[in-house]
Amino acid sequence: MIPEVNELIERFDQLGYVVEEELATVLLLMLNLQKPILLEGPPGVGKTEAAKIISAYKNTDLIRLQCYEGLDVNNAVYEWNYQKQLLSIKIDEQSSLTSAQKEEHIFGKDFLLERPLLQAITSDHQTVLLIDEIDRADEEFEAFLLELLSDFQISIPEMGTIKAKHRPIVILTSNRTRELSDALKRRCLYHWVDFPSFAKEHAIIKKHIQEIDQQVLTQLVTFVEHLRSQKLQKIPGIAETIDWANALITLNTKALSPEIIGQTLGCVLKSNADIQLVRSNLNEMLEEIAS
Amino acid sequence: MSEAMVGFSEICRESGLMVGLSHTHEAIEASKKGIIKDENTFRYSLKSLFCTCVEEHPAFDKCFDVYWRKRKHNYAHKTNSKGTSNIRKKSKSSLVMAGFNPNGYQEDPKDQEEASNVTGASKIESLKHTDFSKVATIDSDYLDQLTERLLRQLNHRLKRKLQTSKKGKIDLRKTIRNNLHYGDDLLELTRRTRKIEKNRLIVILDVSGSMDKYSFYLLRFIWSLKSHLKNIEAFIFSTELIRITEMLHHDQLSESMLQMTHHAKSWSGGTKIGECLKAFNEEYSKRVMNGRNITIILSDGLDDGNADMLGQEVQKIKLRTNKLVWLNPLKGMEGYEPLAKGMAAALQSVDNFHSAHNLSSLMELENILGNA
Repeated sequence: MIPEVNELIERFDQLGYVVEEELATVLLLMLNLQKPILLEGPPGVGKTEAAKIISAYKNTDLIRLQCYEGLDVNNAVYEWNYQKQLLSIKIDEQSSLTSAQKEEHIFGKDFLLERPLLQAITSDHQTVLLIDEIDRADEEFEAFLLELLSDFQISIPEMGTIKAKHRPIVILTSNRTRELSDALKRRCLYHWVDFPSFAKEHAIIKKHIQEIDQQVLTQLVTFVEHLRSQKLQKIPGIAETIDWANALITLNTKALSPEIIGQTLGCVLKSNADIQLVRSNLNEMLEEIAS
Repeated sequence: MSEAMVGFSEICRESGLMVGLSHTHEAIEASKKGIIKDENTFRYSLKSLFCTCVEEHPAFDKCFDVYWRKRKHNYAHKTNSKGTSNIRKKSKSSLVMAGFNPNGYQEDPKDQEEASNVTGASKIESLKHTDFSKVATIDSDYLDQLTERLLRQLNHRLKRKLQTSKKGKIDLRKTIRNNLHYGDDLLELTRRTRKIEKNRLIVILDVSGSMDKYSFYLLRFIWSLKSHLKNIEAFIFSTELIRITEMLHHDQLSESMLQMTHHAKSWSGGTKIGECLKAFNEEYSKRVMNGRNITIILSDGLDDGNADMLGQEVQKIKLRTNKLVWLNPLKGMEGYEPLAKGMAAALQSVDNFHSAHNLSSLMELENILGNA
């Protein structure tokens, strides 16, 4: 580990984010090379959290674009303020302006509504741009992003090309519900965020919930780790473990018994089939863990 | 340093990683910034630069170990050509041994072993997979032409069915633009509708021994489908599952086939439908199934494996797809009943159960695809 990486890990630790060496290295590389990063991994392992912490570390704004199916340029980059445009046309009705002048007027900056991507590009200081769950967006939108990610510029037909004053730090996340295009991946650093190791998860929960009992915490993390090795439909992430830990605190639990697990299993498992499966095998699982 | 990095990029490229010139450049840039001082930092940095998906990590690690580690960090020294070529050979062969292929499908040597143990079929595979490329001569040209023609028709009709209507929400942006020359009045309304996307087609083809008579023919059909439909994913299986979407890209069927012969080690072997569909569910289903797809399984349903498992896995596929179609060549036979245990288990979750023994039966797909 080089000192810079170590520094980053410590700084993140102060900000409340536990990060292992590999991710820290990649994040450092991202900051140095000013290249977008693609974080891929199962849901609930802290991909979005990484972006938040980077913005805290850089002490700058986080601009978030949540992707969804059907997301288009109008919602992601810019939109014209139609109401204002219509009113303006009405006001200018009697004026002697030519139609070309009118057009220039209503397609000016005053009528432009900036959406996240344009905000990130035009901001007068460096920002962190989080493009969340890019795999949910359509392929067309992905293709649109290419220009942004390689040249950090956006073309608006009515206004021309807008170049970034300060290159935003771009973080893309994907849950891998579909394969992303090679062109997009080529422009990004890549890091696979996996389920955390025992030590990491232990540290994360300790960080989030200070008042948790040491013994319960160890039992909890061991159990969740074991759960992940089962053939479940939906494997619980760190967020679920934290939820569960919170639930146990609320219930004032001193030790993880089969009854308690049975009652609170809904915090970690979000599918009926999974819950049934674990309930029926609970005793065997606990024995396995004990041995 | 730069030379060493270029050499490393080349090795990575040969092992199937997508490493462009810009990546090499960035790697050199990053090294200058000090990442090279520590091995882990160096490895992680290059990994994030050179890999584009998690399946590539093992290949990368192998390249990294072979190139940087075994030479004990001699990267600062000039790379003499002899040295690199040796390493290149080494890295390549070791990667082939590891079963890496650039399509991201990682074969587990243990699985293969298991497969051959269970069915005893994989032993003759190596013999079979050489003569497979000659199969092409069996089919007559006439049949090919007919397929092509019918397929064009099929695609054409599908397209017409999916045409957009003129109704829909008003598109203010275009309306304002189009009406500027009227002054302030909006005389013409421009509307927009949702763009209708074609369903993705997922085809899973059984190429086991019992399907021999049909598999080439059906594969040809899939290949033709691929050249007419944009959104299609294809897999073949017998004792193991192989994704062939990428291999279908070639203009010539023979090239696609040749490439498949390289990968398909279990052609005409035994059948483990359940396990192969399980592999599909675990590895690919989340990625290729987006809820807007039609899945077609082409198999005779004669299974060596566990029938219950087959039923469960088909059920899982059903949950993720709009329509699940099972095409069974045997159904064309008179008096056929789906009595095979696996087939019976699977049928519970299948929407359409059709025959697939001749072209006209395949053409019925049109109705299936159109109505979805």
